[in-house]
Amino acid sequence: MAASPLPARPISPHLEIYRVTITMAMSILHRITGIGLYVGVLLAAWWLIAAAGGPEAYSRFSGFIGSFLGQFILFGFSWALFHHLLGGVRHLVWDSGYGLDHPLRDQLAWATLIGGVALTLIVWAIGYLVW
Amino acid sequence: MTSPGPSLRTPLSRVRYLGAARLGSEAAWRLQVTSVALIPLTVLFVWLVLYLLHLDYSGVRATLSHPLPAIVVLAFVLTGVAHMHVGMRAIVDDYLIGHARERAIIANALVCGILALACAYAALRIGLS
Repeated sequence: MAASPLPARPISPHLEIYRVTITMAMSILHRITGIGLYVGVLLAAWWLIAAAGGPEAYSRFSGFIGSFLGQFILFGFSWALFHHLLGGVRHLVWDSGYGLDHPLRDQLAWATLIGGVALTLIVWAIGYLVW
Repeated sequence: MTSPGPSLRTPLSRVRYLGAARLGSEAAWRLQVTSVALIPLTVLFVWLVLYLLHLDYSGVRATLSHPLPAIVVLAFVLTGVAHMHVGMRAIVDDYLIGHARERAIIANALVCGILALACAYAALRIGLS
């Protein structure tokens, strides 16, 4: 199939005019956190391979993850993980047909956002304080 | 809500019962199954990471050489890779066409395949040591 460039044709405005709703924002955020996790899972792979590789390899990983940049990336990755996890639960609930009407769909969307932040902060507090 | 009205699909596409990506509902189902599995697996994995956080290298290796932590890590990583493979494929199908799409599909398959292999090897090597 020849990939010839398509001639420029007029298209309807969409993002320029549509009012941003919480469900719309959560939808694209779900995709963005998914992409972030796709990249961030390399971090988990590095951890595993370093653990299998020996003490020197592991200390190099520990050094990075303990640094400010490493902690910053880890914090972002963990937030993306919890947000995507709760968003996934929301999508599974919607797949069953429940919660698609107003106001529950907006409430579920807000719960995902707030719950993701809350879970991140709670887990990080546990990591720093308890152990 | 108004009634659906006549279908806009051609008769052949309806008979074939596949979607635009020609995978049918297989991708959606795989995404749902991996999602359900990842809910407990993520909880277990996060708990494991919090446990391993303040152990030294020998502690990490000792913990991951026990069957249950090793299985949790293996299950989480492999299920996660299966999930991200299907998820990324959906993103590719949404935004790319032509040669770029084909290359992205191949790249996605290679990244996920190598990632799964590398993590499985590392987890098994630790788990079996």
